[in-house]
Amino acid sequence: DMHKPIEPAQPTAGMQALKSARFLQVRSELVNYPEGILSPNPALNQGTKNKAGGRVYDKDFLLQFQAVFKEKPSTDWDMKLKETVGDSSDSAGPRSA
Amino acid sequence: SSTSDSKDGEIKTVFHDPENFNVKHPLMNNWTLWFTKPPSGKGDNWAELLKEVISFDSVEEFWGIYNNITPTSDLALKSDYHLFKKGVRPEWEDSQNKHGGKWAFQFKDKKAINIDALWLHVMLAAIGENLEDDEDNEVMGVVVNVRRGFYRIGLWTRTVGKADPSKGRTAEQGREVLHKIGKRFRQSLQLKDNEMVEFSGHTDSAHAGSTRAKAKFTA
Repeated sequence: DMHKPIEPAQPTAGMQALKSARFLQVRSELVNYPEGILSPNPALNQGTKNKAGGRVYDKDFLLQFQAVFKEKPSTDWDMKLKETVGDSSDSAGPRSA
Repeated sequence: SSTSDSKDGEIKTVFHDPENFNVKHPLMNNWTLWFTKPPSGKGDNWAELLKEVISFDSVEEFWGIYNNITPTSDLALKSDYHLFKKGVRPEWEDSQNKHGGKWAFQFKDKKAINIDALWLHVMLAAIGENLEDDEDNEVMGVVVNVRRGFYRIGLWTRTVGKADPSKGRTAEQGREVLHKIGKRFRQSLQLKDNEMVEFSGHTDSAHAGSTRAKAKFTA
């Protein structure tokens, strides 16, 4: 039992948090975002026409996540990316300058 | 479990703790990212070049993907990214697209623009549901094409602005909905006043072959 096969990479804490986190009820649950973080624009999620349950987000709100959540979608992401998008360097044709 | 009862009411977002958050921000729609590989020149068919990359339905998942995928500016010529609502293939042939069309803008001076920022802003407008109103049901997806002479960003719509009796929508209202979406699309692209996005129906494009489809209208 000393010589186990190579274990698959373990998901990171951030990956696990994403998996286990529940969906926020955007319209009914009030979030106290940390200081300096803008809440979603409430005007986007009010009014009787909005059936989306508060899932309309403005660009400024969304951009705040860019530097905060950088986890790969899965432990095998790099391999998956190679199979789909591929290395830009090994695709056919010249690259743009 | 009973041990964590006292913590149950505590909402922790990714901003509070990126490694131990317990809520994520839901999107209105489930989205699928697709990629078109450049042809190898060996007669490969387009359907094989079109690959489904991943689907997601939260803001956090979107950023995990965006932060770990090849930027548009690094893609080879003849590549495309497509971000479409889940269940819709980014092809004219999909039954949900066959009566539709697209708003599009070509950036001919590739060095003058930041294509990564433009494509990001269009994706955010799509997943944040800023391109259409709740009841419109027109937006199918957005696409970026990397070509030798230009970048092009498009927004695909379900119809070409027709009447929809099931929604009580007249032909004129149908066109108004499409125009409103075109305006919001051009806002997300931050175009100058003299730069117009053009609309064309998919059937026009198909019949036009490789030549550019004649635009039906602009916004």
